[in-house]
Amino acid sequence: MSYPLSHKTVVVLDHSPHFLAPSCQQVEFDIFTKAHQPGIIPLAPITKSLWTTVVEATMEYCRIVWDIYPSGKLIRFVVSDTEAHCLNTWSQQGQNLGYLLEALADIGVPSQPRKKDECSIMHGLTAAIKALCECSEVQHEKRTSLTENAGSVVNRGRVLCISSVKSESHVRTLEKCFLEALNEHNKLAAGSDNLMPVHQCEFTLILTFPIPTSEESTIHPIQRRELSPVLTTEVYMSKAGRFLAATLCYLVQRHFNLASTTVTGIPMKEEQNAKSSANYDVELLHPVGAHSEFFKTGFANTEGAHVKTVKEGLEYDSVILKWCTPRPSTVDLQYCTAAHRITPVEVNSRPSSCLTNFLLSDRAVMLELPRKSGSRLLSHMLVSHGGEIYIHTLATSRSILEDPPSISEGSGGRVTDYRINDFGEFMKDHRLAPFKSELADGELPLEKAKNRLSRQTLYWPMVISHTTIFNMTPPLEPLLSLLKKETLTTDEVIDCKKVIYNLIGMESKGTPLPMPVLGTRGKGPKREEQYRILWKELETYIRAYCTTAEHHNILDCLLDCRKPSPDSDSTIPSNGAKVSVVTTSTGTRKAEKGFVKEEKLEAGKTGNGEVGWKERVSQFSDVDIHEDGGNSFKVPPAKKIRLGLQDDRGRFSGSQSLLTLWTNRVNAEHSKRHREFSGRIAAGSGPALLYQNLNSDQNNQDDRHVIAQKNINISGFVKGNASHMTYIKEEPQDFAARFMPCPDGEDIQNG
Amino acid sequence: MPTVLLLDVSLSMCRPVLQPDIAEPYQLRNLAVHGLNSLLDFINQHCKLEFCSLIIFSSSCEILSPFTRDLESVKKALLNIDFYDKTCIETALGSTKNAVLEEWGGSVPCQIILVTDGSTGIGPNSLKQRLQDIGTKTKETEQRFPLPFPFPSKLHVVCLSNPKDSNLQVSIPLYQKLIDMNGGNGQVFVPEGNLNLKTVQQMFLKLAETYYRPFHGTLHCGNLNCNISLSPPPEACEKINDFDSRKVEMSTDILICGFLDINQASNPPALSRHLVLPIPPQSLKEEGKAVMMKQDIDASDDDAVVGNDEGKQPSFCVLLHGSLKVEGMVALCHLGEDWYGMLCSWADSKKKSNLMLSTFEPGLEVVPWLGKFTQIGPASLLPELSKSVTENSFPIKLAEKRSYAQNCVVWIRQMALQADIQKILRHARKLPDKTQNFYKELNKLRRGALAFGFYELLDGMAIILERECTLLPGSAHPDAALQLTHAASALRSQVYRDYNSSIKPLCTKFSSGD
Repeated sequence: MSYPLSHKTVVVLDHSPHFLAPSCQQVEFDIFTKAHQPGIIPLAPITKSLWTTVVEATMEYCRIVWDIYPSGKLIRFVVSDTEAHCLNTWSQQGQNLGYLLEALADIGVPSQPRKKDECSIMHGLTAAIKALCECSEVQHEKRTSLTENAGSVVNRGRVLCISSVKSESHVRTLEKCFLEALNEHNKLAAGSDNLMPVHQCEFTLILTFPIPTSEESTIHPIQRRELSPVLTTEVYMSKAGRFLAATLCYLVQRHFNLASTTVTGIPMKEEQNAKSSANYDVELLHPVGAHSEFFKTGFANTEGAHVKTVKEGLEYDSVILKWCTPRPSTVDLQYCTAAHRITPVEVNSRPSSCLTNFLLSDRAVMLELPRKSGSRLLSHMLVSHGGEIYIHTLATSRSILEDPPSISEGSGGRVTDYRINDFGEFMKDHRLAPFKSELADGELPLEKAKNRLSRQTLYWPMVISHTTIFNMTPPLEPLLSLLKKETLTTDEVIDCKKVIYNLIGMESKGTPLPMPVLGTRGKGPKREEQYRILWKELETYIRAYCTTAEHHNILDCLLDCRKPSPDSDSTIPSNGAKVSVVTTSTGTRKAEKGFVKEEKLEAGKTGNGEVGWKERVSQFSDVDIHEDGGNSFKVPPAKKIRLGLQDDRGRFSGSQSLLTLWTNRVNAEHSKRHREFSGRIAAGSGPALLYQNLNSDQNNQDDRHVIAQKNINISGFVKGNASHMTYIKEEPQDFAARFMPCPDGEDIQNG
Repeated sequence: MPTVLLLDVSLSMCRPVLQPDIAEPYQLRNLAVHGLNSLLDFINQHCKLEFCSLIIFSSSCEILSPFTRDLESVKKALLNIDFYDKTCIETALGSTKNAVLEEWGGSVPCQIILVTDGSTGIGPNSLKQRLQDIGTKTKETEQRFPLPFPFPSKLHVVCLSNPKDSNLQVSIPLYQKLIDMNGGNGQVFVPEGNLNLKTVQQMFLKLAETYYRPFHGTLHCGNLNCNISLSPPPEACEKINDFDSRKVEMSTDILICGFLDINQASNPPALSRHLVLPIPPQSLKEEGKAVMMKQDIDASDDDAVVGNDEGKQPSFCVLLHGSLKVEGMVALCHLGEDWYGMLCSWADSKKKSNLMLSTFEPGLEVVPWLGKFTQIGPASLLPELSKSVTENSFPIKLAEKRSYAQNCVVWIRQMALQADIQKILRHARKLPDKTQNFYKELNKLRRGALAFGFYELLDGMAIILERECTLLPGSAHPDAALQLTHAASALRSQVYRDYNSSIKPLCTKFSSGD
């Protein structure tokens, strides 16, 4: 916590009739008729009053501060005549030029009071001290916060007073009164809950006077000195008009720790002659940090890059940097060590506004540090972000990261088949954006983004040779993308199932999988093998994303549809949906359940229920006639099924009896009219088991063991990185349903 | 961070070390070389990319080895050291400062290891005397003294001296004072037990283990992850703001939050930069899992045996790097409490590119054009309607414009005022086409004059407008004269001395009514 002095500034303006006096700076404002109309005499120049020049100069001071520090640097205005008028408060809403200009217009120029003596700058100074004792928003927040630092908030501030006094003794009296008032108010504030004593105050007094003056010699500027541990003062003398503005421009740099950069050699087209271009300089102000590297290394001194700028008698340093004509958009990331806001010193001069408009149109300009050796060194960059112009400090010295090892030399560097493009798409899907408000569920947007990433990477193979499903996405969409969603609608479930049926169709037709040929493998695995791998991975994928009942629905569908693999075929003959239900005793509950649900969904989709299903039933019977032809105790050869599958709507048909179809259809119709308990859905058609997870841990372990040994298709799912794999918790009875012949099978049929 | 080895080569380093059981005693300098060698070996093994430099000092200084990653060459340089007169630590620190500034500039953190025998010199240039001089606060001495270094640094003092040596007891507070003057980062090292090869080596290794600890962590992108090391290792850092301060430390879990285009990130300033080097999963357990997984997915695969060759194991870092490079994007990362950074593909001037982590300053709102980090969320969750609106993407647009973007009134220079008047007259001559612009500029001038209390300008402007009216050519639109006269009288009217009541165009039968 630095609690800087610059957090609070009170500007006190003398509004006494004395400031009505002309500043004696003449303004030629009627210069345009001369060229046009020779006969006309231009209007006489007008003169700004002292008041006008004071307001102009202080507004410029504020403009610079608020351009560079949009928040955290607070300035209050107090206008002092017969009493003090506060123009704004510490609250942020009054901290802008528009607000102040309006308030100043309301106050107007000083008026001739009845008695001149009633006016005193002390009214304003007292009000300023009072203002310093008031907490700013952030001070209040820190003071009332429950952190350990709450009690140690330090209240520092500055009073900047522009006035005009006649003698040095007057100045001393003012300082003395100021100190007394400060001590007085600190005592008051110490006994108050809302106010804070001022721990450190800087009192800057600027005495201004009309340009040709005799008063000049009587008072001398007074160097900074300490009047008390709490108060330091300094006194500046300044002629009015642009001299006063220059003084304040100098002070704003000191008060807010700013530095100046002069951009030199900016090519600009002449207004009159568009062909020729001349070079211009623009001076910018920014926090001193933008040049810290120069000051540390002493670079500026040795290379002669910084110059003394003398303006209206005040001297300060400005670093000269050369404009580099910008190259067409390079999207490289520059190594920037700092970025600071800037503001031009002469905001509305033509060169300044040309430069700022150029930058505001989203073009960046590199700045070069001129060096005696003649070598080019890009040291800074000017660029705008969202309507604000910044100066970026570029790193100029040797990098400790030079000559790094290439990523291809490290771990994983020799793998050549990363899914670079797929991950590119993934990144685009996870682009970030600013959120104005919190999300509806109260979660922070950033947390949401992290959670989304977790969900979307539950199964994400990194290399092409470790995946089949992502090498053949077209036939698998929309299943792949839909499954990643946290919730699925009925329609989406149907879409996913369609994909599965489609795959079965492809498999039974013997369509080769649209996979890229992998060089390392020679011919690659046979087609059946490819499908086996595909099914296995697809199952892993679905299991990975299986979170809701709808997701489970799809998983069940897949499991039902899976063609048993050759080895499991011999050991467990009736595993999977392809087994005809007519062969009864080995029918599985799972298959049954899946089918029922499927019917339900299909019916729901056709919408006009009755006609739809009647038609379908007739089709099913056709299919069955085909398939049951004398072969009902064996799994029908795959080719035969395909005939039925050609038909668009019959694509899910296995070999099933008419009775089964009929029962299913009726069940489906019934189930359309009510919603099943989720417990019962999970349990299939048997009695719903309570506390089913109770013994699951142990079972799981056993199961896993079995799986690993036998290499059975029901695999765990891969979570995250390919190198880490965890098994999802399987509910024991699921395994039972899938692997064991189900004694209840007939009951279902009969019921 | 680069290291400067600052070795005392004063004559006193040639003192023998008396050891009871060894006939031919070592000299202090042998111990120093032995210790430094073990330190260099440690760095070579654990922090391959570190730079080291060897500077020897007595009453003068010499750079024996400039900053290099070739630590063997530094070791070689240690073999051929001559010994000179007396110890002068101030000179040594001064040379170090210049060497570092010249090589790395003012923002790269460095470690300076001062190896000495525990005597701090004699005479007016002895450390004791110099520190006393600074205590008396003459400005000159203070400016000349090289501490604190202008770059972030850690200063260690390694004493080759018996811990009970009375000379050392006097010196240690002085060394500590040096470290404190430099910001307090660093440590005085003294051998534990009597001075011999073993204790010296232990002392150097203790330093190495404390201050050259490599950083190992995990990079996460959801469930994808990768073991990484960061080079150079990240430092804990404290950022002091106006009203709070933040101390942050890099978490071993670096979380990717999402992705941005490079131009959306717009060159945010980096506090530090680190190479992200993937390291292969070490533990057997993980390897075992990987094997199982592969068999599972691809059981028929002939080469199911996963080789131990680390280059062949896929690494998420490599995938991420490739995609970031191809797509021109960066990944926003959460590095620890209230500390964020970004990952990008970075190439040195040569072709070799690598994954790099740039850390931002600690805090939630340190890159103004990205806004508050916790308010950044997935773009896909934005309502469909507002997606196209530029407000909902980076950079964040300002609610209020800065002075240079809003045509503000500054008349300090006479030219600026003249330009504003000229603008009004230019529009005046194109009345009625430019009626709206004319009144807009006129009101801007009027408000400026009112705020500044510059009423003379209003009268002057009124006169100019009236004169413009008389100068209108015959071909002028009749509305022009009417508007000019109206504007002139309005400027004089008390009604329009109110800041907020704008002068509006006169409704004439020529004007279109709006």
